[in-house]
Parts: sequence; C-alpha cells; structure tokens
Amino acid sequence: MEVRKFSIPEIIFGRGSLQYAGLCARRLGAEKVLLVSDRGLEEAGWVDRVVEILDHEKLHWIYYGDIISNPRDFQIDKGVGFYHRHKADVIIGLGGGSPMDAAKGIALVASNGGRIQDYEGANRIHQPLPPMIFIPSTAGSGSDISQFAIITDVERRVKMSIISRTLVPNISIIDPLLLQTKSRKLIVAAAIDALCHAIESYVSTIASPFTEIQSLKAMQLIMKNLKRATETRDLNSLEQLSAASTAAGMAFSNAGLGVEHAIAHSLGGIFDTLHGLVHPVLLPPVMRFNLPACAQKMAQVGEILLGKKRRGAQATALGGIEKLEEFCDTMGVQTRLRDIVNEHAKLPDMCRMAVNDACLLTNPRQATWEDLLQICEEAW
Amino acid sequence: MKPKPTVEDLIGIEYAKLGFFREVQEKIAELNATNLELSRKQRHIQAILDSITDIMAVLSPRLRISSVNRAFHDVYQEAHPEGKTCHEIFRHADKPCSDCPALKAFETNQVFRETVIYPVDGKNRHFEITASPLKNERGQPCHILLLKRDVTLEKEYQAKYHQAERMATVGVLAAGVAHEINNPLTAILGFAEGLKRRIPRLPEDTNRELLEDFSEYVAIILKECGRCQEIVQGLLTFSREGSSEFSRVSLNKLVGDTIKLLKNHLKHHVRDLIRFDLDSGLPCVRGDESQLKQVILNLLFNAFDATQEKGFITLRTFVNQGDRVCLSVEDTGCGIPAHHLNKLFEPFFTTKPVGKGVGIGLSTCYNIVRKHHGEIFVCSHEGVGSTFHVILPREKHP
Ligand SMILES: Nc1ncnc2c1ncn2[C@@H]1O[C@H](COP(=O)(O)OP(=O)(O)O)[C@@H](O)[C@H]1O
Ligand SMILES: [Fe+2]
Ligand SMILES: [Mg+2]
Repeated sequence: MEVRKFSIPEIIFGRGSLQYAGLCARRLGAEKVLLVSDRGLEEAGWVDRVVEILDHEKLHWIYYGDIISNPRDFQIDKGVGFYHRHKADVIIGLGGGSPMDAAKGIALVASNGGRIQDYEGANRIHQPLPPMIFIPSTAGSGSDISQFAIITDVERRVKMSIISRTLVPNISIIDPLLLQTKSRKLIVAAAIDALCHAIESYVSTIASPFTEIQSLKAMQLIMKNLKRATETRDLNSLEQLSAASTAAGMAFSNAGLGVEHAIAHSLGGIFDTLHGLVHPVLLPPVMRFNLPACAQKMAQVGEILLGKKRRGAQATALGGIEKLEEFCDTMGVQTRLRDIVNEHAKLPDMCRMAVNDACLLTNPRQATWEDLLQICEEAW
Repeated sequence: MKPKPTVEDLIGIEYAKLGFFREVQEKIAELNATNLELSRKQRHIQAILDSITDIMAVLSPRLRISSVNRAFHDVYQEAHPEGKTCHEIFRHADKPCSDCPALKAFETNQVFRETVIYPVDGKNRHFEITASPLKNERGQPCHILLLKRDVTLEKEYQAKYHQAERMATVGVLAAGVAHEINNPLTAILGFAEGLKRRIPRLPEDTNRELLEDFSEYVAIILKECGRCQEIVQGLLTFSREGSSEFSRVSLNKLVGDTIKLLKNHLKHHVRDLIRFDLDSGLPCVRGDESQLKQVILNLLFNAFDATQEKGFITLRTFVNQGDRVCLSVEDTGCGIPAHHLNKLFEPFFTTKPVGKGVGIGLSTCYNIVRKHHGEIFVCSHEGVGSTFHVILPREKHP
C-alpha cells in the first residue's frame, strides 16, 4: 500500500456535549466569538442555547445567520466583513453542512484575504485560520470532520470545492440531542448523505485501513438505526446515526469521494438542488457504474446493505444496490432525478462540469462526462 | 487557470493544519527587531532634542509638562518638572497666564508665537516662545510643543547694531559738513582776530561810538566763532578713527581734574549739588585723557540741564564684572521719557530750545566710548532722574 494519511479534529461526542462549547472556545483563546448558523437552527432554539452557553462562559459573541443551503460566495464576503468589523476571534459553526462550510469560508478569507474563489482547488491556503469549533446538527454532511468546504460561485454557477487540511476544525462537538428537533425528512436526507460518504470513501482509490473501518462502521450503523430513528426518534438511534455520520466523515475526509458526489455538487451548482435529496436518486446507478472496477468491495457493501451474503460477489453487490433502492423507497424519498430537477436539457452541461470536480479523482472507475450523462439518464 | 487538484493533493501528506506556532515565532522575531529599531530611533530623536539649545517642553492639554529636553535643565533648577504645570515651573504662578500661547495653540490648532519678558533669577530675560500643536491621527491637537528661546542677547545686539548703523551714517555726514565748515571758520576767525588787533591802530580822531561798536562786534564774532569751533571739533570726533594716542588713565583722577576745570565756571551753590562716590581701588583704563574728559563734561552739562540747579548729581566709579570699570553720572532731574531712550545717542537729537542744545553731546560721548571699546547706556525714570553709565575695559597687565 502506498503512503496514506489520516487526520481528524478533536472530537467531543455524546449527549449534552454541547455544554462544552463555551469552554472549548475559551480554551482556544476566544474573547469574542463569531457564531455562524441559519434560520432553521434559530427556530429550533439551538442558536439561543449556544448563546446562553457562551454568556455563561462570559464570552462576547456576535451572530451571523444569513446563510442558506448551498452557501454563496457573497454570503462569505458579508460574513468576513462582519467578522473584521467586530474584531471577532474564534468561529463556531452550528448546523448542517451549509453553515459549517460557510464558517470555513469566512475563517479562510478573514485570515488569508482575497476572495473565496482564490482558494478553489487543493492546498492553496498559506496562513493559519482562526480557531474553529463546529457543532453539527444533521448527522450527515461530515463537514465538521472533513477537509472540504463547498461554496457556490454565483456568477459561474459552480459549487467550488476547497480542499485543505487547514479547513479541518480544531474541535468538533457532536451532540445527538441536537438531532431531536430535526424533521423526519431531514434525518433521512442526512443519513443517506452519510451512507453515500461511507460507500464512496470505501471504494475510493485512496482508501486505507483507517478509513475503511470507519466506512464499514458507518454503513452498519445507518442500516441498523435509520428506520428506527425516523419512526420513533428514539435518542439511542439518533446517537448511533451521529456516530455513523462522524465515522463516515472521518473516512471521506481522508479517502475522498467519487462520481456520485461529483454529480451531486454539479447539480447543486446549476439547479441549486438540496444536497441531501440527490443521493437516493444517484447512489444506486453510480454503484452499478462502479461495480466492475471494485466488485469485491461492492460485495462487502452489499453484504452490509442486505444484511447477508448472496452467492458470488457480483450477486451480493447487486443485491445490495437493489436493497438500497428498496430502502429509499420505503423511506418515502424521491428516487428519480426528474422529481428533483426540472430541466433535462441542462444535464449534458451539468455533466461536463461534474467531470472537473475533485471528487472524481478518487473514483474507482475512470469516468468521462458521457459516462456521467449515462448515469443521469439511468436515474432520470 | 489553476492546476487541477490531484489525488496526491487529496492525501496531502505535506500539508497539515496550519498552526500559529511558526507565525507567532516569526511575529515575535519581527517585533523584537522593530522594537530594537524603535528604541534606536527614539535615542536618536532624544539626542536631536537634547542638542537643541532652545528650552523645550511638551505639554498636556491641562498644561502639565510631560517631557523636557536637556536645555531645560541647563536653565531651570527644577530636576523633575514632569507632571507639574508650565506656569508653575516657568512663572511661579498657580494659574495659567492670561496670554498663554500654549492654550491659544490648543484652541486654534495652529502654531502660536510670542515674545515675552520676565525675570529669571532676578534678571529680566527676553523669550521668544513658539507653541506648536502636536496632532493626533485625526488632526486634533493632543499635546503642545513649547519652544522657548532666550533672545535677550540677540535683542541687545540687534538694538546696538541698529544704533551703530544709524550713528555711522549720520556721523559720516556730520563729519563731512564739519570739515567743510572748518576752513571758512578758520578764515573768519583769523580775519576777525586781525580786525581786533588793528582796532587800536585806528586814527585818534575816529568816532568813539563807532569804535566801541566795532570792538563789540568783533568780540561777538570771535565768541560765536569759538562756539562754532567747539561744535565742529565735536563733530570731527566722528571721523577721527584711532588717531589719538591711548595712555594709562585713572578715571578717579579724571573726574577730579574735570571738576577743577569747571569750578571757575560754576556758581557756588551749584558746585555743592555734585556728590562723589569714587572707588579708591579702581583699576586704570587705557584711553585718550582729553576725550574721556569730554565725555564726563558732556554728561555733567546734561545733568545740570536736567536738574535745573534743583537736584543732586552723583559721580560714581566702581568695578563692574571684574574686568570692567564703570563711571556713572546720576542725577535726580527730569528723567527721560521712554520713547526718547532709543534716539538719545543720535547726532542732533535734542529736546532743548534752539541756541541751548545742539544734540551732539551724547553722540560724541557714544563715539568716544566706542573707540575705547566701551559701552555707554542710560537708565532713567521720567520725573525721578537718569543715570548714564560708561563702562570701559580695565587696563590689561602686560
Ligand atoms: N541727564 C539727563 N536727564 C534728562 N535728559 C537728558 C539727560 N542727558 C541727556 N538728556 C536728553 O538727551 C538729549 C540729547 O543730549 P545731548 O546729545 O547732550 O544734546 P543736547 O544736550 O545738546 O540736547 C537732550 O536734549 C535731553 O533731552
Ligand atoms: Fe455529501
Ligand atoms: Mg548736551
């Protein structure tokens, strides 16, 4: 095996771990915290809760909540201005992937200057970032663990991938209690995103024993707990989903993703599609596309999805994919691309853009834009 | 176009989360360097400030001194002026001065200049004060830089220079005129004396009355010619550059001789108005005896005019500052109005009626004293009296 690397933030995990947010911030040298979140978290009361914790720690804070899903470049610029104007220091990101990616973008531009576009691509960051603490509320995006930030360039209609170990936050505080206020739909979307992270990172060309074990663990936990979590919202299941999402985050941050996320990013850039909705639609056809290149691994995935082996790797793998489609159906999520995208004509352009996505680098099978289009047609 | 990320980029073995350790180290090194540079600059600036010979003080808006330069300590005894107010230190006053230039500079945010005269250690000093606002980044004055230059000497030199210049030009003119008049005057005098000698030789039968008239007229001509000659002689001192021989002169003896010379001309009670306060140990000076006698005479005559036989005149000699000998003529006369003081030594300045004063007495004195490398000046209060001081360098022992 070639040389690999595995790096993750400090992780504080468990029910009520949120209460340590203030302490962590203080330990990182905070005097005035920038808290980044969004409307949903405000409405659920979590923003107030974090503010309360900061107040209790006698920390000054400012709040930036002007974030929508698929965070935009101009929202970053605004946040940076806000950060500088108030001379904030530590940045806390609270929420799903969008507020956390936005927080990364703000931290990046606030310390390195220029525009967010300047850092598109890998390893372009040269100055340290302000200390970051992330509090995920969705058990899906993995942004609280990963070295990725995905920001939309409004003018080019592109989801830019910014990749750097420096984007890994200092501390990730994962509190399953936060999942309790989530809608059923959101729980499903996030869990399938995490499942997708686990599967894509597992078959990635740069997967390592340290990521593979996380990927497998994440798949098992999701298959075992998702149904129960959506039906009963039982805290144990939610906690397991949190652990799964975190494990999947550890895996994909270090092993990368694949074709599915390349297309998902492109869809988000062009159609502003919600990231969580894309996976039930794309994951099965992508798995079929990749199957020839990694049958053994796909079989292991299939075994977990199915809960048992079938005769032969190919059969187990295919069985797993079918099980996945069935599973998504029973979750009541949309499973056809046409349900979430309205312009079929734009698909070729979308695929031409997707082949440039960094996620494609670690896909087990080489893919041209025509291959991607084929996948989309299959999903249509 | 940016290079596309590679798989190696994703693995990113050479890339780690950037920490602040190195940055902090670099910052500390940088700060140390700038700190050194700053303190070097500060020393440099302090050296510049200390080498400024004017007194310098930086004042807060409440007129408290925040720093001073070395020149301050050369002039003022106060070892630690910092924190004290400027009026306390400079004027021994517990309130700001009414015309405080620092306050004006604060108010107007402009450089303010002023000249003031006040005593330092009992002597009146002339100061030129510049108050310039030190502005903060918003352009508002936050401190005042006070520069005090002692211009006492400059002012004195300036005054003397102006006087010397005026004297020189008028003096040259006067001497020229005197020369021109001297020849016809000599001729008039000669012929008048010739006439006087010839009167006894006139025939016996000449009308007696006519004869007496002639005698009287010739006498008047001779007398007035004498007066003219005196004036002309006085004027000629303006141009007689170092022509006279200097010898050892005792000012005390000179005063005695001059008074003896006068005695015959003065009425008794006037003579009694003159007092003497002579320093018996007075060193000699080098000079022209007759010219110095002239100085004493001129000063005495002026004093007589000023006292109108009703006041006292004191002739005094003493040693001044070790190497200078002083002769003063003090009277309790009418005194001199302030606005006349600077014109006094000019040729032809007089306040006396025509026929009584010509206005060359003091200018003659001035010229003579100057040729003796000395100084002449006056202190006077109107209605109280005047004192003329003549200061000459004492004779140097070979
Ligand atoms: N002792 C004195 N007291 C008052 N005024 C004096 C005295 N000496 C000189 N002065 C003033 O100075 C003027 C100039 O003096 P001087 O040069 O001697 O000319 P003059 O005696 O012919 O007027 C005098 O007219 C008089 O006004
Ligand atoms: Fe994702
Ligand atoms: Mg006179």
